[in-house]
Amino acid sequence: MPRFERAVAFTVTFALAAFCAGAMTIGARAQDAPPGDAVNGKRLYLNDNCFTCHGRAGQGGAYNGPAPALAKTAMPFEGFLGQIRNPSNDMPAYAAQVMSDQAVADIYAYMQSLPGPQQAKDIAILND
Amino acid sequence: MSKRRNFPDSNRRNFLKGAGLVSAAALTPLTAGAQVSAPKQNLKAPVPGPTQIAVETLPPAKDPVNQTSSGGDFMVDVIKTLNFDYLAMNCASAFRGIHESFINYGKNTKPEILTCPHEEIAVHMAQGYAKMEGKPMAMMCHGTVGLQHASMALYNAWCDRVPVYVMIGNIIEGDKRAPGVEWVHSAIDPAAIVRDFVKWDDQPASLQHFAESAVRAYKIAMTPPMAPVLLSLDAELQENPIVDPESLRIPKLANVVPPVGDAGALGDAAKMLVAAENPVIICDRLARSPAGMSRIVELAETLQCAVVDNAGRMNFPSRHPLNQSFRRSVISQADVILAIEMNDVFGSLNAFSDRIARATRPTVKKGAKIITLGLRDTYMKSNYQDFGRYQDVDLAIAGDGEASLALLIEAVKRFIDPSRKSAYDTRGKKLAAAHQAMVEQTKSDATLGWDASPITTARMCAEVYAQIKDEDWSMVGTSIRLSWPHRLWNFDKPYRWNGVSGGAGVGYNLPASLGAALANKQHGRLTVSFGGDGDFMFAPGTLWTAAHHHIPMLYIVQNNRAYHQEYMYLTAMAARRSRGIENAHIGTTLTDPNIDFATVARGFGVHGEGPVTNPNDLAPALKRAIAAVKSGQPALVDVVTDPR
Repeated sequence: MPRFERAVAFTVTFALAAFCAGAMTIGARAQDAPPGDAVNGKRLYLNDNCFTCHGRAGQGGAYNGPAPALAKTAMPFEGFLGQIRNPSNDMPAYAAQVMSDQAVADIYAYMQSLPGPQQAKDIAILND
Repeated sequence: MSKRRNFPDSNRRNFLKGAGLVSAAALTPLTAGAQVSAPKQNLKAPVPGPTQIAVETLPPAKDPVNQTSSGGDFMVDVIKTLNFDYLAMNCASAFRGIHESFINYGKNTKPEILTCPHEEIAVHMAQGYAKMEGKPMAMMCHGTVGLQHASMALYNAWCDRVPVYVMIGNIIEGDKRAPGVEWVHSAIDPAAIVRDFVKWDDQPASLQHFAESAVRAYKIAMTPPMAPVLLSLDAELQENPIVDPESLRIPKLANVVPPVGDAGALGDAAKMLVAAENPVIICDRLARSPAGMSRIVELAETLQCAVVDNAGRMNFPSRHPLNQSFRRSVISQADVILAIEMNDVFGSLNAFSDRIARATRPTVKKGAKIITLGLRDTYMKSNYQDFGRYQDVDLAIAGDGEASLALLIEAVKRFIDPSRKSAYDTRGKKLAAAHQAMVEQTKSDATLGWDASPITTARMCAEVYAQIKDEDWSMVGTSIRLSWPHRLWNFDKPYRWNGVSGGAGVGYNLPASLGAALANKQHGRLTVSFGGDGDFMFAPGTLWTAAHHHIPMLYIVQNNRAYHQEYMYLTAMAARRSRGIENAHIGTTLTDPNIDFATVARGFGVHGEGPVTNPNDLAPALKRAIAAVKSGQPALVDVVTDPR
């Protein structure tokens, strides 16, 4: 059956890059985060479908709008938790009953374990 | 110029003589006496009964078996005056009369038939072709079941404001329908199911009626706002001899000059734009010819203002310093917004929250003046809601965007105060700096997960561009929300891009890309397209058409093994209800088994590469595929990617 994709019912097909940049500019306070288990965080990140919007490598993606990159996020843990509990945009809210604070801490730890961006100038094909 | 129909040989002038029929009366009737003589007792065959005897003794019905003229030939003469290059179709008995005329009388040229294994493929090919070539493709199908197959693609073309010239077959007279299939394949109003999304339709009752409606349909389809049109062709008219050939004439086609907006209103718009501190241009389905892009560039450079291109067409060069398409915060800073050929102005000027309350809020500054220019307000229908939510505007100008830009540019130049030139230059420099910063951020973003498997979409797009950047490339399709090409590549020519589906009906991308590739073929361009795996599965038979008609195209399947937008929606629904988030893959993913698209491609006679899972294998696979494309073949590369 032909299907409609509500996300592209608007002719605007592009993600709004400005949103992505926003999440990266908050002051870095990752060291203030509660202890998290990055291995369990990876399992949760994949199992709870965080990756569907933010990418398996935490590179970001797009849902109705852009989904920010989370690898080595500079967002402090409190902001990260707040965004999960009461998102500021179309991101689904994950209540404590489906994602505990500890689970969020584990996911946060996994995000911090991922490699961040490389120097784009070192990748020749990004400079064509 | 109007003309009488010229028949290719003098015999055709004599259609009327004998009605062009070779009568079955040549059969010699048997005499009754010869048939009813008394049977001999030794005969083994049964004795003819009274019914059989009656059949064999009555005079034969007037049932000719040959003809020397046909309505279908005349229809082809008419169609040839409309200068179609191609006719995309899936064969069907309802148009066998004109089908035979196209191939034998019309010699299968102008138009040449494209064999499509699904009507949706045929319409989408026409849609992609028209956007690239600037002229419509003809399409033909069964009046009932074929049109039902074609309908979603017609809706896409309608929403995309693209002309598609559709012909369907139908048998109007009930007493002429064979029992069975011809009844279930006939309708009293076959166009009814698509009337909400075609601009005009007709079911001509005579050949002259057909001629006039055929020319009228073309004219209507090509008058902005462009849209599909439909003609229902009665099988009797197609198949049977022409009754009165001397009375037939083919009308003259005169394309309508696109309407230009009112000069006074354009002048008012110009005054607002030149006086603005932060004017912003938003455009969507603006450029319908190469002139469109150069005009919008000229307007933007004259004003040194931001342009947000919604990419419904190839409107504005991606690397132009005034291109702020990925920096939409400029909209919220604007004091004057000029929205050109937008289907959904509201959607671009308001934020929508996809939550329980589904609230909206304006993203434009309070007091910002909004000007619309386009033909969107001049033609719409009620049922399907493709017109979007009503947007308050300050000045709405009805006129074709591209055609009206020339007058608008002239007025802007007339009203510019030379003393403000330095302010304009300063504005332009700020925008250029912001554009460059955005480019650098994009490149940095693209490095995340660079070596990951599944391959990131950024890496995939960067690898493809590295292989095609020195070719005369044309990108004609993209999977949902795949924006990396427009963020990373240099779209600098009118044919680099041709927009999206329009109606967001999945199944557009593969066949529409092939239609655009056909247009590009005659210009020697390298066609490249990205498409999702979900989209591919709606019309995989498109690949056979590509191979059969030798249409070169590099098709990249962005294989995230899901209807991924739906996967995310399901996740959001489950999260909202705090249950079973891990079940969101059910009904939304395409795994178990994973689809091997390269093998599928090879089965259709198309060069297939993949599945590519290691990013380092991508460049060699692309090189092989591009070599195949440059030799004139279609090629597919199956890239297993991360979701977005």
